Amino acid sequence: MNNRFFIEVDCARQNKHGQGAPGDVFLSQRDPDEGRIVCVLADGLGSGIKANVLATLTATMALKYVRSDMDICKAAGVIMSTLPVCSERKIGYSTFTIADIHPDGRIRMMEYDNPPAVLLEGPTVLPLEKKPMEIETAHLGRRPLFYSAFQARREMRLVLFSDGLSQAGMGRPRTPLGWTAEKAVLFLREQIRRLPNISARQLCRAAVTEALRQDQFQAQDDISCAVIYFRRPRKLLVVTGPPIDRKKDAQLAARVAEFDGRKVICGGTTANLIARELGRTVRVDLSFLDPEIPPVSTLEGVDLVTEGTLTMSRTAQLLEQNQEPDTSRPNAAVRLMNILLESDQIEFVVGTKINEAHQDPNLPVELDIRRNLIRRIVSLLNEKYMKQASIEFI
Amino acid sequence: MKPLTITICTGTTCYVMGSGYLLSLQEQIESACSRPVEIVGSSCLGLCKDGQYGRAPFVQIGSTVIAEATAEKIIETLKQQTARKPMEQI
Ligand code: FES
Repeated sequence: MNNRFFIEVDCARQNKHGQGAPGDVFLSQRDPDEGRIVCVLADGLGSGIKANVLATLTATMALKYVRSDMDICKAAGVIMSTLPVCSERKIGYSTFTIADIHPDGRIRMMEYDNPPAVLLEGPTVLPLEKKPMEIETAHLGRRPLFYSAFQARREMRLVLFSDGLSQAGMGRPRTPLGWTAEKAVLFLREQIRRLPNISARQLCRAAVTEALRQDQFQAQDDISCAVIYFRRPRKLLVVTGPPIDRKKDAQLAARVAEFDGRKVICGGTTANLIARELGRTVRVDLSFLDPEIPPVSTLEGVDLVTEGTLTMSRTAQLLEQNQEPDTSRPNAAVRLMNILLESDQIEFVVGTKINEAHQDPNLPVELDIRRNLIRRIVSLLNEKYMKQASIEFI
Repeated sequence: MKPLTITICTGTTCYVMGSGYLLSLQEQIESACSRPVEIVGSSCLGLCKDGQYGRAPFVQIGSTVIAEATAEKIIETLKQQTARKPMEQI
């Protein structure tokens, strides 16, 4: 685990107005052992399903080649010579930016025809030395690419975006040339100046929303923005289930009280036992009611208290479907998802006590469900959202 | 008049069995019983673990437990309690 910084990666996207399939594709993967991250932003020619196929192919190939340690320049060449050809325009084409990020912050990047990637330290833009290269393509002859290698430090951000963002609003009287990359970068700097710790997740969403506004809320093209933020890790502790041994209750409560980061408790019984140990009170908060997900509770010193199984299984579902949390329906599952995604290092502490004196044959099953649910959430967080999540059973 | 506390269980079993719906019934109950009530939520009341108390969802009013609670049953219970004792003691 790298303690100097955590690399938070997120991407926000908006499809072109009226298109069901995104023509921009962003893929990223963290190698669970090495901690190395490979990210690709590809923008397929045109929009809709054809563009989506091109961009998906490009991004998938890039991810695979670079991860298998093919040289990043060679990988770019292979991709460009293998893309399928569009039947109308007779070219097979997708722009791309590939960033290969070492856990110590060393980055190698290859850019082909996307707006230039930007490296920021706080709100300051750092110059990147980009070496021009040429690569033979199947249908377009020799094309220029840019290669760069640099070292990121804590509080730096690497921002990638598609031309749908920089050209948003193009043709409108006030912005005949669109928003432009320069103004987009100014916007990013302004956001960081105002909120120095703004997360990758918030920053990329802010940029896409602003681009969409430039387009008067009807995207003229696919808009994407990815942010890779080298940040101080945000820690989260999630406690669920009473410990197997009652003597450990006090320890668990102390751990919650002393944890340096945000804290969540999932499960009413667990919340009650921690409250009891700490001499505090749990109160069910009825200010927002949802027909399917039980309401949250409040407990002094804890950021979120939810019911257990129903809430966590809905959260797992939301994480699986990669759904943007519905802010108009801030139920416990949505709030749990938000707090998970706004954290980097997440410790799940899972109590394995079955149940008091009751000999209910269903309860071991319930415990199994809980354990599997948490395993599912943890693997989603690690694999899909590139968090550092771990489980401990007590 | 002091509002009467109605505790509605929002634990997993009770919620699955529909206690969420009961949480929104304050006005309906008040107008049916013509007295103020306060609805509070609770984590698992521990009544769902064995069959002894009947089936979820559970609602508690004072020391009375209502199993398979519905709006009608809650209103019914309140009316009985009001009929049994003078208002102030409830
Ligand atoms: S969930 Fe309501 S009594 Fe257990």
